[in-house]
Amino acid sequence: MTATSSGASPAPVVAVRDGTVELGGRPVLRGIDLDVRPGEVLAVLGANGSGKSTLVRTMLGLVQTNRGQVRLFDTPLPEFRQWHRVGFVPQRVSAASGVPAAVREVVASGRLSLRRPFVPAGRADRRAVDAAIAAVGLTDKAHHGVSTLSGGQQQRVLIARALASGPQLLVLDEPTAGVDLVSQQALADTLGALVRDGTTLVLVAHEMGPLAPLIDRAVVMRDGRIAYDGSPLEVFSDADAEINGSHHPELAPPRSDHAPAVAAPFDPSSAHGEPR
Amino acid sequence: MSLLTYEFMVRALLGALFTGLSAPAIGTFLVQRRLSLMGDGIGHIAVTGVALGLLTGSSPTLTAVVVAVVGAVVLELVRASGRTSGDVALALLFYGGIAGGVLLTGIAGQSAATLNTYLFGSITTISSTDVWVTAVLALVVVVAAVGLSPQLFAVAQDEEFARVAGLDVRVYNMLISVLAAVTVTVAMRTVGLLLVSALMVVPVATSQQVARTFRTTLATAMGIGTVAAVLGVVVSAYVDAAPGATIVLLALAGFLAAYPVGVWLRRRERLAQPFAEPVAAGGPVDHVVAGEDHEHRHGDDCGHQAVPHGDHLDYVHDGHRHAVHGGHYDEH
Repeated sequence: MTATSSGASPAPVVAVRDGTVELGGRPVLRGIDLDVRPGEVLAVLGANGSGKSTLVRTMLGLVQTNRGQVRLFDTPLPEFRQWHRVGFVPQRVSAASGVPAAVREVVASGRLSLRRPFVPAGRADRRAVDAAIAAVGLTDKAHHGVSTLSGGQQQRVLIARALASGPQLLVLDEPTAGVDLVSQQALADTLGALVRDGTTLVLVAHEMGPLAPLIDRAVVMRDGRIAYDGSPLEVFSDADAEINGSHHPELAPPRSDHAPAVAAPFDPSSAHGEPR
Repeated sequence: MSLLTYEFMVRALLGALFTGLSAPAIGTFLVQRRLSLMGDGIGHIAVTGVALGLLTGSSPTLTAVVVAVVGAVVLELVRASGRTSGDVALALLFYGGIAGGVLLTGIAGQSAATLNTYLFGSITTISSTDVWVTAVLALVVVVAAVGLSPQLFAVAQDEEFARVAGLDVRVYNMLISVLAAVTVTVAMRTVGLLLVSALMVVPVATSQQVARTFRTTLATAMGIGTVAAVLGVVVSAYVDAAPGATIVLLALAGFLAAYPVGVWLRRRERLAQPFAEPVAAGGPVDHVVAGEDHEHRHGDDCGHQAVPHGDHLDYVHDGHRHAVHGGHYDEH
């Protein structure tokens, strides 16, 4: 999809320059400089309130910057119109709303970036919706009501909705929060296939879980600034150091956590992530 | 039908038809946004609009449309800015609207009976101009609500996703509010301002009981609204009752009839939910054979709930989950 290996360094998919955000008069992001390169899988980590969710929402224009600039696909955000190139999976509340809706109907919302008002869905739209539902393995549930699905299945519906427009950039806010391990593995498989096709991934995470092998770059947020930017492996050893209060985790007593390698960095108290 | 020989009855039936079709169309989106009472709030504001018309000697329908639209826009702005919670904003409008209406009607020297025709509807007195206005406004509401239903559905379902899909969320939210205000004034002459919301919400609540998709919910609600409105006018003509109240009570009766069906459907759906698949990583599951005195043969029509469990069916009875295994049953 994206030209990852075409000569000179391609323009970044997302570019944030001096990104500064205040919410209710309090600085939440401070002087963020960040480039997301095509084909990259970037994890944004950090404790609650560190600004990681605000950072990705700023990338998508859901939060206004007070200073600085955001560019998507080399276009300044205010002028960006090609929203079908972006897929967004919000932090899950529920895929259900006040009125019954079938899986297919929720996923079809993802095609609206390519459709015009008052024009019914065409064959290409229907095919794309079917393909997106198949990609998350819910074909047999396509006509079921979303409210009858489990939490993990509802999460997959929201991912299918983001995939329906064939995005080159997929942004996921806490995709694994409150999702059982089996569904997390299914999610990792789906995302892995997308990454192989060249999709750029930005995901906010509390814990990596089965997603860990996909990630090739990690950014750790602390107090609205980028505290770390680099290989994901070092984050985990750094996180271990933070958790164990030592820079020599191998000397510390072994931790009896049932999932030692996936603990949330800087947030030892919530190794399970928390459904919010 | 002898009813159709009376011209005022034909006008009443047409008014009821347009109202019954358009009110649930926009009501579905209000229910989806969990703003079921918004129609009521707008209805109360429209009371002030009607009184303004009585005071100034202009058409109450016209002033009601203008005031209701302004009120709906204010309501949406207050809600979107998040400064006041939705229900407090609604409460302020409820009381401001009705108090303003009563005050202005008094100043205009009109009796409470005049205001009553707008509060509770007077479908048998509508003029042919009213019928035309109702038809045009209802057409606008239905075309917008049905034609833009994918967009309105997406915005009401998940605002943030809709924004990232490039939809102008503020425009669509405003559109829902304005359409609701127009619908309220359309329904004003049929069921009255105080009962408008019932025709917007009750058919939706009824169709929710049996529908599983958004599209069927919308279509069924519009069907139920139309039947209730037209039938209400006919019934009230024969028993000489207030048409507005009859329409609303018929719609409520429909809900009461559909509710047990909905409870039954939801219960059936819940019982048929598959059990979690056996996790391979969890190691082999203990093989527990059901008691030897298990004479009963489980099958398609054995009367026990069959629930998918991995690659087989579990039969549920008396707190057991029995799966066929060779010549006996396993406890799962």
